[in-house]
Amino acid sequence: MSKRVFQTETRDHVTIVRIDSPPDEMLAQELRALSEQINYDTSIHTVIVTGANRGHFLTGDDRRIARRKAAFSLSDPIAAIHCPVIAAMNADAVGPALEIALACDIRIASEEASFAFPYLKQGVLPLDGASQRLPRLVGQAEAMELLLTGREVSAVKAQEIGLVNRVVPKTEVLKAALQMAGELSDKAPLAVSYCKEAVLKGLDLTLEQGLRLEGDLYFLLHTTKDRSEGINAFRGKRRPQFRGK
Amino acid sequence: MSGFETIIYEKNGSVACITVNRPQVLNIYNIRMRDEIFEALGAVKSDPGVNVLILKGAGDKAFCAGADLTEFLSAPSPAGARHARWQRDVWGLFLSLPQPVIAALHGYVFGSGIEMAMCCDIRIAAEDCVFALPEVALGIIPAAGATQTVPRAIGPGRALYFMLNGGRLSAGEALKMKLVNRVVPRAKLLPAVESLAAQISQRDPRLVRALKETVRRGLDLPLAEGLILEHDICHCEERKR
Repeated sequence: MSKRVFQTETRDHVTIVRIDSPPDEMLAQELRALSEQINYDTSIHTVIVTGANRGHFLTGDDRRIARRKAAFSLSDPIAAIHCPVIAAMNADAVGPALEIALACDIRIASEEASFAFPYLKQGVLPLDGASQRLPRLVGQAEAMELLLTGREVSAVKAQEIGLVNRVVPKTEVLKAALQMAGELSDKAPLAVSYCKEAVLKGLDLTLEQGLRLEGDLYFLLHTTKDRSEGINAFRGKRRPQFRGK
Repeated sequence: MSGFETIIYEKNGSVACITVNRPQVLNIYNIRMRDEIFEALGAVKSDPGVNVLILKGAGDKAFCAGADLTEFLSAPSPAGARHARWQRDVWGLFLSLPQPVIAALHGYVFGSGIEMAMCCDIRIAAEDCVFALPEVALGIIPAAGATQTVPRAIGPGRALYFMLNGGRLSAGEALKMKLVNRVVPRAKLLPAVESLAAQISQRDPRLVRALKETVRRGLDLPLAEGLILEHDICHCEERKR
């Protein structure tokens, strides 16, 4: 994999993806390949997406968004990952970078970071998911305000409206993400990814259909060894040893 | 109605109340409780004299601390468990109640406890509430609706954080996330819930039911169809006057 675009590092079932690239087509291609590879590799239980720490989350020059073409997506490959994806937002996230973060499941942000969708200001529209994912995440009113004004919001305000889940000091962002990834990776990986699937797929369904989906995934888990292990460990007051089977 | 072992069902005027009643084991939910709640909910649903339902937990420590895991792993097969789930669909029945339901929450509200609370329309929490959905740490997922009801209430970002993490939330955090409507001191919980129930029960019960149906069904529809539903239900109710 090209070193210019991003670096990955996998340890203890957690893959860290450090993106260091403008939001271009090459990055999109590489993310697609990475996402497929992650989904094949059952030893990966959690993914952390972060930036290379140069002042911006993810990409080197992500404020210059006006000339992007709609032909590729950076957020689709992230959204296609089956296991939980944590965005470790160690710096400002603007436009395309923030759209990548919206495609993650959990967002942990630096208290110094600010966030904005400056698309309209630059005479373009969001084209990598913000118009759909943002209202689903923070509600229609907050989403409209952010998208229509392009106004910057602080990390604290972002947490208040539900755009990010946690705010920590800048130097602690990756540490907090790793700690959470560690906790997630200790859980039964199939249950974790089915839970993610039930939540995200269920929101596109009626409540009744969603309950059906939840039920079917739940009973599919009845066939796993991890379920017996989890329940027996709880009864025996010991730590479960999950194997993803 | 009598002969219940795990719940108490009471009616006080037009306000009905179900109390989950296994305080010695933090009101954990078992098969017996499922059957009894199913029976009580059926009675509420078909009772035109009930305008509002309250759901609460007996004892000091918990509204409901989850499901009784000693009964897990006893199903004959996954297919058998699935059959039983849909044959006696207690959560579907709960969500289909025409009357508004208010949850009075205190102490531990874990797993099935949260899921029951999320089947209610309004949640009032005592300051001592602690919320958690620990399922994925047990190799399972919530299966009484939480993967659907929680994200609809608080959005997918907060829901995933809460469920995947399996961590605990205080009453204040739950309020900030809009998982509950209000937080009150422990001693004021039942008075607050009862006064809200009394207030709602004084409204025209036909309109209350129509409103609940419109909101609930509308959330499953595209906006334009929801507006037609609202219009139709409104005209239908006016013609009955």
